[in-house]
Amino acid sequence: MSQMNGASSLVASLEAAGVDVMFGIPGGAILPAYDPIFSSSIRHILVRHEQGAGHAATGYAQVTGRVGVCIATSGPGATNLVTPLADAAMDSVPVVAITGQVPSVAIGTDAFQEADIRGITMPFAKHNYLITDPADIPRAIAEAFHIASTGRPGPVLVDIAKDALQKMTEFAYPTSVSLKGYKPKLAPDAQSITDAADLITQSSKPVFYVGGGVIKADASRELMELAQLLGAPVVTTLMARGAFPDSHPLNLGMPGMHGTVAAVTALQKADLLITLGARFDDRVTGKLSTFAVNAKVIHADVDPAEIGKNRFADVAVLGDLKHSIAALIPALKFALAKNRPDLTAWLRQVNSLKATYPLGYAMPTDGSLAPQYVIERLGKISGPETIFAAGVGQHQMWASQFVSYENPRTWLNSGGLGTMGYAVPAAMGAKVGAPDTTVWAIDGDGCFQMTNQELTTCALNNIPIKVAIINNESLGMVRQWQTLFYEGRYSNTSLESKRIPNFPMLAEAMGCVGLSCERPEDVDATIEKAMNINDQPVVVDFRVARDAMVWPLVAAGASNDDIMIARETAPDWDSQEL
Amino acid sequence: MAQHTLEVIVENSPGVLARVAGLFSRRAYNIERLSVGPTDNPETSKMDIVVNLEGHALEQVIAQLDKLINVIAIKEIVPNSAQPIVHDTQPDYQN
Repeated sequence: MSQMNGASSLVASLEAAGVDVMFGIPGGAILPAYDPIFSSSIRHILVRHEQGAGHAATGYAQVTGRVGVCIATSGPGATNLVTPLADAAMDSVPVVAITGQVPSVAIGTDAFQEADIRGITMPFAKHNYLITDPADIPRAIAEAFHIASTGRPGPVLVDIAKDALQKMTEFAYPTSVSLKGYKPKLAPDAQSITDAADLITQSSKPVFYVGGGVIKADASRELMELAQLLGAPVVTTLMARGAFPDSHPLNLGMPGMHGTVAAVTALQKADLLITLGARFDDRVTGKLSTFAVNAKVIHADVDPAEIGKNRFADVAVLGDLKHSIAALIPALKFALAKNRPDLTAWLRQVNSLKATYPLGYAMPTDGSLAPQYVIERLGKISGPETIFAAGVGQHQMWASQFVSYENPRTWLNSGGLGTMGYAVPAAMGAKVGAPDTTVWAIDGDGCFQMTNQELTTCALNNIPIKVAIINNESLGMVRQWQTLFYEGRYSNTSLESKRIPNFPMLAEAMGCVGLSCERPEDVDATIEKAMNINDQPVVVDFRVARDAMVWPLVAAGASNDDIMIARETAPDWDSQEL
Repeated sequence: MAQHTLEVIVENSPGVLARVAGLFSRRAYNIERLSVGPTDNPETSKMDIVVNLEGHALEQVIAQLDKLINVIAIKEIVPNSAQPIVHDTQPDYQN
């Protein structure tokens, strides 16, 4: 034990928790902590907006599998963290946020820069703390890291009153954490594994419905073994892209609102969903009452509250997915030895759909750029080790569809909350976590204008990310819905111009290299030029056709049976044997 | 619908009532009655929560309540039954 003030105790605790980097901005209430940060081994990256700090922590966590850390002052500093923390909650990302709070005697008095950030984050944070006694700091930090990173990961906020940072205290970091009300379950019950294996052997149309939990649990290798053992088709949700290689013949692609015909239809026609770390989100199921009506459900997840939340589970496998899948492999081998179902007809059906309805797009006839083509070339040229981070909207869906993901933790996006502006700061955090890997942000022009200020942070801190702006001078996804569902009345979705702002000049102003491209024949050379700049961030303004749409589409609230492959065009079901 | 009483042991720390009340509010569950009192252990409190829910919805309330870090144990008190159903938060209902 040693005597120090609360601020030093905080920084010593963060060091003891293994933090190597944090993203933040100082201010009055957190100021005492910034003094020991100045001499700490922890790298502090000074961002330009606290939202950037939060998403950067998320990007760092998604790429490394470690806890991402952000830090801000009280009041507006803390409230600016609300969006990224809500985002991290929806996508189960381990993040710890440290905020300064006004001095404890001022709490509740509407003091300058006071906001009840514990109360504000209570609805979505996995847990949070308000610390007014410096003696509580090490325990709170240890618990916060434990809670954020175990079980179903999530954001934890530690709010610390300024006087708690200033007062003297004894520092002793706890050697272990024990919480009466929190004991995540690692190993699944043996019976649930046997039941799951038995149910699988009774199925003739099984599908692996794979969610982001597989990536969180680092269970991709186990999934590969399980999928190959059974030889059943696999669908990877938006959060699970990369959990199973896109190039694998069993992979049908992404299910859901903009999923492939094969993935969506395989779920609809399945007699068994082997659900691994997925949560039957409305964007996947469409109208729930018509989702996979003939399927039984095995639901493996670490979060008991997900079992049966949206869809009844015939077999619940509760536990960490790495353990659960690892346990299922020998159990299934044993069960298959006695009774191996014949999946030949089922595989023929789904492969026929996959061959008949591949993802595709039309090249514009006027010589303008197809956004899908740009994204496809980005994926091809930069290769399967590259990390991609997307914003939210059309470009996000195309980035999920037209880049081939071969490895886990190479695809970052805001799946649950749908946070526009996620891409640039998340890419920044990803690059800090994986400095030797190429990181591309694929962003929309609408999204980019929400958080591009972090490019200054990147330029000044040697974080050379690459940004592809898919510039269609529109809030494209909303515009697409207006085209389809509001008779083309484009209320407030036009951003008016591909030239204002001048994105390459804006990039240059922030210390980045700015490039632009508007002809298909220039795409490859422009991407290669960007790939060869590694000492500075690069921004490429791809000026693309405005009217491109994301297909396939299951309209919001519609049944997955009503998937459209183009405007007013359904798949030709009569030609399919289903 | 039958009324069910949940006996919830929580950590006796500031903000716990807000966490429980907020959970019911944001998940759109109705609380029929709620009382909070001390237990023999000064570190814990007991909440009796009466809800008008059955089956699946009741299971969801319990599972979601159990996710709150400050919730230690949940018992369901079934009317006309001496033996309460114990939803042991450790380890099955834990996250």
